[in-house]
Parts: sequence; C-alpha cells; structure tokens
Amino acid sequence: MNNGKPVVLIVEDSAIIRIGAVELVLAAGYEALEASDADEAIRILEMRNDIDLVFTDVQMPGTMDGIKLSHYIRDRWPPVKLIIASGATILEESMLPSGSRFFSKPYDDRTITDAMARLLASDDTQTTVV
Amino acid sequence: MQQPPVVHFEAASTLAVVMSSHEPLLFLSDDLRIIAASASFCRAFEIDPASVTGKRLGELGSGEWAMPSLNVLLTATATGAARIDAYEIDLKRPLKNTRNLVVNARKLEDGDPDHIRLLLAITDVTEMRAESRLKDDLVREKAILLQEVQHRVANSLQIIASVLMQSARRVQSEEVRGHLQDARHRIMSIAALQKQLSTSGGGSVELRAYFTQLCQSLGASMIADPERLSIQINVDDSNVPADISVSLGLIVTELVINALKHAFPDERSGKIAIDYQSSGKDWTLSITDNGIGMPPGDDAPKAGLGTGIVEALVKNLQGEISLTTADPGTIVTIRHRETSGSGTKVSSAM
Repeated sequence: MNNGKPVVLIVEDSAIIRIGAVELVLAAGYEALEASDADEAIRILEMRNDIDLVFTDVQMPGTMDGIKLSHYIRDRWPPVKLIIASGATILEESMLPSGSRFFSKPYDDRTITDAMARLLASDDTQTTVV
Repeated sequence: MQQPPVVHFEAASTLAVVMSSHEPLLFLSDDLRIIAASASFCRAFEIDPASVTGKRLGELGSGEWAMPSLNVLLTATATGAARIDAYEIDLKRPLKNTRNLVVNARKLEDGDPDHIRLLLAITDVTEMRAESRLKDDLVREKAILLQEVQHRVANSLQIIASVLMQSARRVQSEEVRGHLQDARHRIMSIAALQKQLSTSGGGSVELRAYFTQLCQSLGASMIADPERLSIQINVDDSNVPADISVSLGLIVTELVINALKHAFPDERSGKIAIDYQSSGKDWTLSITDNGIGMPPGDDAPKAGLGTGIVEALVKNLQGEISLTTADPGTIVTIRHRETSGSGTKVSSAM
C-alpha cells in the first residue's frame, strides 16, 4: 500500500501489452509499477516493501519465466498476491503457487481487475498465506 | 591354445542353408564356437568369411561379440534354460558407430542330446531405430512449434485488444469509444475460438465450450450487474470445423452485443439465450432476448457494421436469417439447410 492505494507490479516483456496493463491497473485505482522481466521485477520487489500484487506474464526473456518468478515471490514475499497470464491455454494450476490466479491471453481487462480486487480484498483478513 | 575342431559333421545342406541365409545367421556349437556363418553376417559386420569357422563367438572381429549378456543368454539357450526372443543388444566396435541389434536364438532339436547346436539370427535395427527416433523428435517438435504459434497468436491478439482498449480510454466521443469497444469484442471472439482450437487439437471446435467462453468474455466486459442481465447457452454436442465456428462465433458476438446494447435500456433486467441445434448437416442458431423488442418501421435503428457483418457471415454459411418478435423481446434465427438433399428437409423449427 502506498498512501492507501494498493501497489501492483506488472511484469511483461511486450511494451504494448505492458502499457495496456498499466492503464488497466491505474483505471482500477491502484498504483502501477512495471518491469519487463523477472530480474527487474525482483530488483523492484527488493527496493520497495509496499507491493501488494504482482501481475506477471509467463513467457519472458531472462533467467526466470513467470511461473518461476511467481514461486520465487511466494517463497520470499509470501504476502504478495499473484496473477499470472499466459498465451498458453493449458496451464496446470498445480504448476502455480497456491492462491495465485491464472488467466489465458488475451485477457479481458474487467476479468483481471475483478480478480485483483478480490485478491486485494482477501488481504484484509490476513489469512491468505497458505 | 586352439582346441581341436568340433568332431561332429554337419550335413552339407544345413551348412549351405546357413551360409546362404539372407538374414545374418550364425550356427554355433554349445560352447559357442562358430560352425558356420552366413555370408550376410560377414558382410553386415565386416568379418572375413575365411576366418570364421571354428572360432569362438567372442573372438570374432576385434572381440566386439564378446558381450557378457549375450554369452549368458546363449549358454542358457544351449542348456534349454532360456530362449532368446528379440533380445536387443548394442554392438560396439572400435572406430565404428554402435549398431542396435535384435537377436533371436534357437536350440536345434534333432534328438541328439550330446550334439547341441544353436542358431543365432541377428537383425540390425540401427536405421529403423534412428528413423523412429527421428519420427518421435519430429512429432515432439511439431507439438512445440504448434504451441509456440498458439502463444504468438494469443500474444498478438492481446496486443490488438490492448491497443483498442487504450484507444477507447483516450477518445472523447462516446460513439467512437463504442466502436472501438465493439472491435475489441470481435477480437476477443476470435481469441475464444483460438483457445478452443488450441485445446481441441483436431481443427474442429466443441461449440458449447466455445460459446460458453465467448459469452463469459462478452459478459465480463459488458454486463456490469450479472444479477440484472445474464446469458444462457443451450447448445447440443456439435463439433464444428474451425472456419464455420469462427463465423458462428462472430454472429453470436454481434447479436449478443446488439441485444446487450439495445434490448435492455433503463436498467431493465432480462436474459439472452443462445441456442444451437444440429441434425446431420442442417443446423439452427438462435439468439433470443426478452428485452423491449425491435422498434417498428421508421423508428428502427439504421443498420450498423454489426448488421453488415452478420448478414455477410450468414450468406457465407449459406444460411437464412429471420427476425421475429418474442413478446417480450426478439428472436433472431439463422438456419442452414443442405440444398443438395432430395427436396427440402423439414426440421424441428424453434
């Protein structure tokens, strides 16, 4: 949270999709941060301690894809909520950290913002870390 | 060190049969000495035919046939304890490629227990194995490529949807925004088909799953209050080729968008039903709403892009479109009848 606004980190290597995702997050009333790969995302997570949710792509250049990144985040920053989007339609839920949400691309903006709102709301109960 | 040669005499005909065998063949004594080797064996494994007779199997060539497992199996075959059926071994030779072999061994039964001989047939399956490996690799590669293409398609559609959404947010005109959002819905409609295709794999689409996903996507972006408006799907078990599915999906998209936009003004609640039934090659698609109905005569809105798209697609599908009043609401029905059959088929109309 930053000034009462949830902070969402967007990890996406395609610039155009990333811009769209940033607008989606801003339109939902959250603060948006962006990274173009997992390594940059981790640097940002290390620098800031106010990130509530990470919205990540799966296929990205760099040392980690979005699935590895999401596990890394779950291990290192357990309270951070996770939304994963991929062009792959079939992605086994078991490959993802528990409690994270998966959406296939192309996603609908409203579907993503609804999921964000739900995940961020569950934060209040402090019972989501499994 | 050389033992005296085997004292038994073999029938000349037996030796001739072995020697002339097309399949590489060894005729062995029970202590695994070679009585005869086929010319094909010597040729295939590059062994001098003159050097063969009387040698132990393990002494052939540079000793590459001295394989412990083969030795054990042949000995067991000689004593009758085992039979070698299609046993696979790798023949490793210095400075040469390893060959994959399938060996079969039989004890020759001719009623003389003191005179045991073995027939060892060797098939070189190296090329066959390499071919099947190559085939497996190609199949795997094709699956990976296909997946890669699907990723790219999904990503490209995401880029298009993102650009349209960004434009829609920026424009001032409500009308232009509407058009941009409609364009995005059409993209999402094709994306839903793409998703179905990537899971089905056979080039045809399970229509019920496709329409369900399509309407979920439309509802997610267009229905603010799911309590007020809902979309129902009633589709039979049809599997429809991709090119026809994409047309059906776009028709459903246009008609559902149209109904959501115009049939339920002033927070009116209601539902839209999508029905698809097929019988043989005939099918009927209908989109029904229980909204305010179409305004009559001059009050009717002028046809937009959506109407044009629907009419073009219906024509393409060789269908007929009809519009009826449901009281309340509207039913749009699209029927396709195979004209090639004898006369006009009568089917269960809605």
